[in-house]
Amino acid sequence: MSDLIIPKQILDGMIAHARELAPYECCGILAGNNGIVSRQYRIKNIVATEGAQNLSSFDPAKAAHLERLSPAERAEIAFVMDMGDFSAAKKDMRNNGLDLQVVYHSHPHDPARPSVTDIKIATDYEEIWPKINLPAPAYLLISLMNPVPEVKNYWIKAGQVSPAPFAVR
Amino acid sequence: MIKVRIPTPLRPLTKNQGEVDIAAATIANMVETLEATYPGIKARLCDDSGELRRFVNIYVNEEDIRFLKGKDTALKAGDEVSIVPAIAGG
Repeated sequence: MSDLIIPKQILDGMIAHARELAPYECCGILAGNNGIVSRQYRIKNIVATEGAQNLSSFDPAKAAHLERLSPAERAEIAFVMDMGDFSAAKKDMRNNGLDLQVVYHSHPHDPARPSVTDIKIATDYEEIWPKINLPAPAYLLISLMNPVPEVKNYWIKAGQVSPAPFAVR
Repeated sequence: MIKVRIPTPLRPLTKNQGEVDIAAATIANMVETLEATYPGIKARLCDDSGELRRFVNIYVNEEDIRFLKGKDTALKAGDEVSIVPAIAGG
């Protein structure tokens, strides 16, 4: 499979999103056609909403950890997408003939690598994508731990992480 | 009967079943019927006023009920309902 192409403007848009929300995590999705991204959708991170950790796929240890934190502290180490926003994006993609390509989120304090939680939830979600008529996306991470942001993209399949290279145009 | 797909995080409430078949005329009806058999599930899906929580989606045959009639969305025999947890990570 050839590399995904992400326009510079959209790459900059994701980094801007990450910086705006820092020290909290941002999240969103990218869509396009034929391996070329053409649209960024920002999605609200609602992990600070009381009880939000209950219904996402957090494992019991992570959920217990999140329960002990304040809402603001939770948003520094986790994200939960507002699924109303997600469905609005899904509808817009369908209306415009776009395919889901990437799910992105930021790591304000950590490297641009999927966490154990990221890998578990992505693996749980593998069976969900076909049921909601969407292709399984790649997972893109934006790290703000160093002055120069680091952006990396991955496939997560059956608990295994592999690089999903992309080119910026 | 309709088929309801249960996501991994809710399976402890449904005796680890990933799919359950129930009779229901609407989504609200489905939630009440699920609650009667699997107590505790309603609170995971709906807030105190009965509205769908923002961190869960319910799809009827691939369409989000937010774009249908919400909890009043009608169900008919053979429909497939997917309860979808929020995309999340750490």
